[in-house]
Amino acid sequence: MKQKAYEIVVASGKGGVGKSTITASLLVLLSRHGYKLLGADADAEAPNLHISLGVADWDRVEPYYEGRVAYIQDELCTQCGRCLEACQFGAVEIVNGRYRINPWICEGCYTCSFVCPVKAVRFNRGVVAGYLKVKERTRYGFPLVSSESMPGRPNSGKLVTETKNIAKKMLGSEGLIFIDAAAGIGCQVISSLVGASALLMVAEPTPTSLSDLKRLHTLARHFRIPSMLVINKADLDESYRLKLIEYAREWRIDYLGDIPYDEKVPQSLERMTPIVEASPDSLASKALFQLAERLREIIEDMDEWRIKHLPPRQEPFVPKVIKPEGR
Amino acid sequence: MFRVAVTGGKGGTGKTFVAVNIASLLARRHQVVLADLDIEAPNDHILLGVDELGEGEDIKLFLPFIDTSRCTSCGVCAKVCDAGALLMPGKSPPLVLPRLCSGCMACYYACPYKAIIPGYHVLGHIHINKVHKGDSSLTLVTGILREGEEHIAPGVYRVKMRALSLQTEVLVIDTGPGTGNHISIALKDSDVVIVVTEPTPLGRHDMEAILKIVKNLGLRTWLVINRDGIGNAEESIKIASSYGVENIFRIPYHRDAIESYYARVPVIALKPESPVSKIFLQMAGLLEEVMAQ
Repeated sequence: MKQKAYEIVVASGKGGVGKSTITASLLVLLSRHGYKLLGADADAEAPNLHISLGVADWDRVEPYYEGRVAYIQDELCTQCGRCLEACQFGAVEIVNGRYRINPWICEGCYTCSFVCPVKAVRFNRGVVAGYLKVKERTRYGFPLVSSESMPGRPNSGKLVTETKNIAKKMLGSEGLIFIDAAAGIGCQVISSLVGASALLMVAEPTPTSLSDLKRLHTLARHFRIPSMLVINKADLDESYRLKLIEYAREWRIDYLGDIPYDEKVPQSLERMTPIVEASPDSLASKALFQLAERLREIIEDMDEWRIKHLPPRQEPFVPKVIKPEGR
Repeated sequence: MFRVAVTGGKGGTGKTFVAVNIASLLARRHQVVLADLDIEAPNDHILLGVDELGEGEDIKLFLPFIDTSRCTSCGVCAKVCDAGALLMPGKSPPLVLPRLCSGCMACYYACPYKAIIPGYHVLGHIHINKVHKGDSSLTLVTGILREGEEHIAPGVYRVKMRALSLQTEVLVIDTGPGTGNHISIALKDSDVVIVVTEPTPLGRHDMEAILKIVKNLGLRTWLVINRDGIGNAEESIKIASSYGVENIFRIPYHRDAIESYYARVPVIALKPESPVSKIFLQMAGLLEEVMAQ
């Protein structure tokens, strides 16, 4: 491996296909080969990588302050309703005849305060939007950086960016960060993909997983990130397995192989131990060993692999804009 | 309008599976809209066998345009923009970055010179389809984010408003995974929230986060343990009970569920006699009781 720092993002579009389980096992397997590794959980709204790795306590937990929450001062409010009309997020409601800003929805923009004619909208600032968590050394040796956003807070993508910044600083100029991304293709996933060396896509052979994977890969093309594909629970259905492989071929995605459905996986999850440690002889573990070997080949020659697997053409994101009339 | 929302925190626990089955059952006796508010990865149409969503309506977010004849380059708009969508390059008027704009309109109201003209930026699309399955039909409202866009919350809000505008008897909402404000927006004002979880430590962790939101929103909560049998369901039930969950349903890990998934027909229509379908029938029956109250 070159003396460089690389970021590999594990994502899937669809949730619950095995991102965290696979990330945890790959980290454990690669750590046995002496790589300098770091795990980063980039799913701030539903962080799970620490559970898959059996991390129960943290060396550092720091509050993450971001944004503000608006509230209405009852004694000033004249009940004109302009805030309710202006809010673009539906955060203003009427409760017991009083206007109220729902703190679980408030985006923290200033719109309601600007439209209020009597300045009845105030803000709670210094809101704890989440926590950043660091484990210097998991029981497998490598560090883990994670975060957890507070329920109902907006913009968890910013917290993901913060998590990645800590991870990059801890890793330094050389090594490998595995970023366990959120489901979906929104702000958290976009924050995960920014600056990534490679995207490892996890899919299951189902119609929903295929559909969501295609949407995820559109993002990878916008960012021009070379991608790999692993099919989890691959023996569920042959026709969708083939559709996934066909899609990979079409887009120069490096198809690394399959992991079979294995009931040992949920069992290992219950013990909070990666399957490759809990049941090394299981079918899923054997497939993961092979997957780690394929990944090692890629890592050894990452720069060359990247060139070979770049998406075939430039497909930058183009916003769709509707101009005001007469412009 | 009677509103049921299906959520779960963790991805892949079976939210969509529960939502399409509940909506299809309720549609036998009621006028139902099923709203897919997982705009990042919408899948309800796939499980209902809808291949073509057809022409959609734009999800339009406010986007500022600068009237340069009025703009003094004072920089107030850029200062109030949390999204960083307005840049002030030196002394010239602001530069607008559409992808970063959340459409909050703070700049529009803040500008002292009325130099901002409202335009739009298309976040994604809303599709409305009639779905006929066996002895019932329902209206499916699907929100789809354009790939590359990142502001989920205002998109979810607009798709939900569109679904509400159809004014049907029943609204079934399928939310995305996560616990951010895009989820509270989807859940708000629901008569019943159904939290779908899987009995694993990962499922429990995220279930607890979502139960906190539902509790804070003051909504009635039911729990579905999906794939019952793969892990420790008792532990999940213990945690959920401490949050005041009213009803608990356990859906076994069963071949019928997987078969209906691939057949793209709700299990209640494909295999009405299945133990999985019986649980959905029970759930729908209880929902109708709440509806009647």
